Amino acid sequence: MMIVLTPIREFKVPIFAECISPEVFEGKNIVQIGQLPVYEGNREKKLQELFKIEEAKTAEGVAEPAITIQGDVSKLKYIGAGMTKGEIVINGSVGMYLGEEMKGGKITVYGNAGGWAGSAMKGGTIEIHGDAGDYLAAPYRGSTQGMSGGKIIVYGNAGVDAGAYMRKGIIKVHGNAGQFVGVGMHDGVIYVKGNCDGRAGSCMTGGTIVISGFIESILPTFTFEGLKKKVKIEESEVVEVPLYLFIGDLTENGKGKLYVSKANNPQLYYYERFL
Amino acid sequence: MTVVKAVTCPVCGCLCDDIELTVRNGRIIKVKNGCAMCEAKFLSHASDHRPTKSMIRREGKLVEVSLEEAVRKAAEILVDASYPVLYGWSSTSCEATKVGIELCEEIGGVIDNTAVVCHGPSILAVQQVGIPSCTLGQVRHRADLIIYWGCDPWSAHPRHIERYTAFSEGRFEKSAWRTYINKVKALVGSKKIESAIRRLAIKSWEPAVARVEKSPSQYLSREGRKLIVVDVRRTKTAEMADYFIQVEPGKDYELFKAMRALIRDQEIEVDRVAGVPVEYLEDVVDVMVSCDFGAIFFGLGLTMGSAKLKNIEEAIRLTRDLNMRTKFIIMPMRGHFNVAGANIVSTWETGYPFAVDFSLGYPRYNPGETSVVDILLRKESDAALVIASDPVSNFPHKASEHLVQKPLIVIDAHMNVTASMADVFIPAAMVGIEAEGTAYRMDHVPIPLKKVVDPPEGVFSDEEILRLILSEVRKIKKERMEAG
Amino acid sequence: MELLIKNGYVFDPLNGINGEKMDIAVKSGKIVEKVSKKAKVIDASGMTVMPGGVDIHSHIAGGKVNSGRMLRPEDHFRDVEKKTAVTRSGVGYSIPSTFTTGYRYARMGWTTVMDPAMPPLEAKHTHEELSDIPIIDKASYPLLGDWWFVLEYLRDGRIEECARHVAWMLKATKGYAIKIVNPGGLEAWGFGRNVHSINDPIPNFCITPREIIRGLCKVNKLLHLPHTIHLHTNNLGMPGNYLTTLETMRCVEDMYDGGKPVMHITHCQFSAFKGEDWRTFDTGAEEIAEYMNAHSHVTLDMGQVIFTDTTTMTADGPFQYTLYTLTGNKWVNHDVETETSSGIVPFQYRPKSAVHATQWSIGLELALLIKDPWKIFLTTDHPNAGPFIGYPQVIAWLMSCKAREETLKKLHPKARKKSLLPTINREFSLYDIAVVTRAGQALALGLTFKGHLGVGADADIAIYNINPEKLDPSRDYEAVIKAFGCAAYTIKGGDIVVENGEVLKHVPGATLWVNVETCKPCEMEVDEGLKRRFREYWTVEYENYPVDEHYLAISRKINVKADV
Repeated sequence: MMIVLTPIREFKVPIFAECISPEVFEGKNIVQIGQLPVYEGNREKKLQELFKIEEAKTAEGVAEPAITIQGDVSKLKYIGAGMTKGEIVINGSVGMYLGEEMKGGKITVYGNAGGWAGSAMKGGTIEIHGDAGDYLAAPYRGSTQGMSGGKIIVYGNAGVDAGAYMRKGIIKVHGNAGQFVGVGMHDGVIYVKGNCDGRAGSCMTGGTIVISGFIESILPTFTFEGLKKKVKIEESEVVEVPLYLFIGDLTENGKGKLYVSKANNPQLYYYERFL
Repeated sequence: MTVVKAVTCPVCGCLCDDIELTVRNGRIIKVKNGCAMCEAKFLSHASDHRPTKSMIRREGKLVEVSLEEAVRKAAEILVDASYPVLYGWSSTSCEATKVGIELCEEIGGVIDNTAVVCHGPSILAVQQVGIPSCTLGQVRHRADLIIYWGCDPWSAHPRHIERYTAFSEGRFEKSAWRTYINKVKALVGSKKIESAIRRLAIKSWEPAVARVEKSPSQYLSREGRKLIVVDVRRTKTAEMADYFIQVEPGKDYELFKAMRALIRDQEIEVDRVAGVPVEYLEDVVDVMVSCDFGAIFFGLGLTMGSAKLKNIEEAIRLTRDLNMRTKFIIMPMRGHFNVAGANIVSTWETGYPFAVDFSLGYPRYNPGETSVVDILLRKESDAALVIASDPVSNFPHKASEHLVQKPLIVIDAHMNVTASMADVFIPAAMVGIEAEGTAYRMDHVPIPLKKVVDPPEGVFSDEEILRLILSEVRKIKKERMEAG
Repeated sequence: MELLIKNGYVFDPLNGINGEKMDIAVKSGKIVEKVSKKAKVIDASGMTVMPGGVDIHSHIAGGKVNSGRMLRPEDHFRDVEKKTAVTRSGVGYSIPSTFTTGYRYARMGWTTVMDPAMPPLEAKHTHEELSDIPIIDKASYPLLGDWWFVLEYLRDGRIEECARHVAWMLKATKGYAIKIVNPGGLEAWGFGRNVHSINDPIPNFCITPREIIRGLCKVNKLLHLPHTIHLHTNNLGMPGNYLTTLETMRCVEDMYDGGKPVMHITHCQFSAFKGEDWRTFDTGAEEIAEYMNAHSHVTLDMGQVIFTDTTTMTADGPFQYTLYTLTGNKWVNHDVETETSSGIVPFQYRPKSAVHATQWSIGLELALLIKDPWKIFLTTDHPNAGPFIGYPQVIAWLMSCKAREETLKKLHPKARKKSLLPTINREFSLYDIAVVTRAGQALALGLTFKGHLGVGADADIAIYNINPEKLDPSRDYEAVIKAFGCAAYTIKGGDIVVENGEVLKHVPGATLWVNVETCKPCEMEVDEGLKRRFREYWTVEYENYPVDEHYLAISRKINVKADV
């Protein structure tokens, strides 16, 4: 069964919509789903007051619950938070905390996502075809328990602090990433195909960051390890271009690996004197 | 004529409480011990331009109304809103903030204080890594190395150096300036002392500047208290320092990183960091690890620098690392006199220091999401109450635009820019002059604020006005509930 | 208002009542002989009735507690309390916000809580928070063990002046008792150092921790304070520190005259470590208990570990720094000029850590091996060894071997092997529980109107869903946990504030403080020279230092007359 949600009107104030999650919808009929509570600002509403709710047939044999949202829901927070299975497709932009702490299933966004998408996620997949906001996969304020599994693919750009305190899993950004990508990460892989705003991997203790584009400088607390011919991102993907490898962050006694494309970063040439 | 002693100055985070005021006919006529900002503030209470009547906007114009009418209108605006914001709080008393939080909870709004545009990033950094700090007296008694980083106390916290740090006299650390200041004080007025100190500072303590290639060793080798300033430009404080490091704009983060590496005896593979030769940095770090008690004070130069909260995180980590070798503390230079108090009260009542969202009936917090500037930039709020603050003159233009587009209530002692754009304006007494209360110094020491003179007739304190609005809000909610 | 609690099984150890079925009458906030026919009746048949709980040591308010709250949004963002028609909203877990603190204590049937660490300079902050905490009565102990005036007077042997200054300080801070934390260590920490035994000289002051402890013990006697000195030992949290603890207890033996105890050692679990280092870490509970069973001049509280994620916070700056270096967790330090220090480090107690598991065992061993329950009280040193909402669990461990065995099974094997618990069969009765959670604590605090249900006492009463004739706590300890976690009724000052775990009323609680009348005025109040010294010692003015009584929502002054 697939539920299709279409916003009835334009939303202005933030909406807390934790209930939009496959397992919450599972086993409920349209009427029951329509009664689910959401908060629009400080007003408690029913889902049906905000959305037209319809049921659509899914392909034969697909048992997993699925939700499709048609339209802009960039004011909606916590869609798919904590989900463990099923699928959410959003044809439009979405608000903050998409798939926060999700454990399984898949979320696809054909639009942009707000901040903290995949915050502290544990498993499953998030695909964002537009841009991701700041703090992609990062944990809540004060916490150092970042993303611990799963996969995030962003086809556009990512904001600052992508993959902060990451412990496991993989993040791929096809566009550019903001400052502090992989800050404080322990393990896992972050692959930025575009450029990076700098300070990549600060305070990292482990894990791998690969930057194919331009990065102005490497933090002084990374040590140059040499020139590599290729680096493996995951089973099916290997980046085969010459890359500088740095190890850090020394101030945290870190052993993280920071790979930076040689071709796109001629300003880092002087490190080669250490070869 | 009466003289009131031990008055607390409601201007900056130093919260000097040794001010002496002379009052005649309900007016303050003389201010002793205070800095220029203090003097100006205390004398301003009797300004002719003080608004004393409540106002409501009708057909585009602010017209005078009774207090009751203004309170009723304000309460209606707040009850009708789905996502109101309550902003300001840093220049009022903790008692007023408490009522503000209760009001915000009652109407399901977002309450945020001015920390969000100054030391908010410092708080976020503390939440990530903690902070080794102390009260200011501890610095006065013990510190033999003072570092001001990205701040200019000489201009923004004029008595900080004299009362708490380099020029103060403590149990274990004497001030090289003490005798000099005392001598001059006996001879001349306080303003002359200030200029005299400055002249002396410029003459005898011409600091070396790292950027122009002067090695720190000769400047930092003397005995006694030492003062280092790190900033992007040569400020007045920098002119007084023993050593001045001019950091390349936006590169403080890299400088912290490099210092941390040096403290840990790690090799740095570049020759210069943030424009400073590494060998000079090595000398500075030597001075840092060999002092008995070091103190770093930082300001908006760091919190608003390119790395924002990460700058502070790294500064704190540097301080933490230094504690492996000696005693070191770090402290933000809080601006408004009670911004620390606003954070503190908010924390004990809600668990969070600023940017608290009550729309779900319980406190939620995540600056970036629940911070007022971000809410305004996303155009999410549908009403606002601003108290003791002037956001329109310092918020980003787009944020101010949304703020004034929606119903706006302003409570302030003065008709500032924000107040002039309000839909409801209620004049308030000046806390610390015309109303009492409690404020917290930048080091979290609570100090009482005195009521020295009466407010203009018909003008109430922030706390009283907020109580009126709160009870009106409850009345309206009850009326509506009964009406179904 | 009148109230009659009928037919409950009453446990009131201070009046020797052990589970008798009887009625309790309440009028105008006090326990009375009898009430009129108009009294509201609570049918407590089949239930346990006790005096409201008393907590001798729980960090619930003040600068350090609040810094802990500010430090840890991740600690409380999932544990929230929604606003209701009668209650305020808030957040919980290890450092609950003020309103939540009051509600959660009241829900468990606790009505009096002592905050044990108030830096005098920041006393206004502590009182602002205490006044904000609803329902429960409370008090706070000013930190005086490293106060320069104390160090200097004791160094110079001027004990009477010292006593008068302490009396002034209690008044100025609206404090309740003399708190001493790692004496001398905190002053040394001002320059990043520490002291390591009670005989170490304190840098710059030519005095030892032993002299501070003995001196303030004497001061306490001269002032006739209701509580004893309240001591957090030197070397707290260090392997092998049980020796320091024994030496500390011995050093005041001669001051005991057979009457009231002269010293309270708090959260003793943290001071009963044996072993050379963390690898050889072991329990020192047996030795401490042996000493306690042979002496009567000391009382203790447990500081029982609960396996959870919590926040450690003490005035012991150097100890908190050690904890930071051990864990690498975020660290707050806050030294207070002329007076004290403090530190905060988040901490997770795990059963699979040999050290944490042994710490868990030590707390229970102390409580069970010390034969007299009037000598050791139930605390978790909230939130240091665990948040106070864990008390019902601790009660279950004390009442049931089975509950202890269940937990023992989950421990690190090394800790399980070292634990003395499998050899201990003692199980607390409900009467013993009433001693260690109320009566004993009230007695040690000298709170004559709390902790019992005799005529004239405050009508603070907890009623639990426990039928002592039917329930076997040893077997059915889960029911005990449930009952103590959610009181059937909590009555505070004659008001029914909680029913079946639900808060019915948001009433303010009182703040208790000791007003010592000295024979001569304190030198600080009359000597202009000392007032000048005040300005040299602190960065605030003399006039702005004391806590005005208006900071206390309800001020409850306890007058005592001093010898000096």
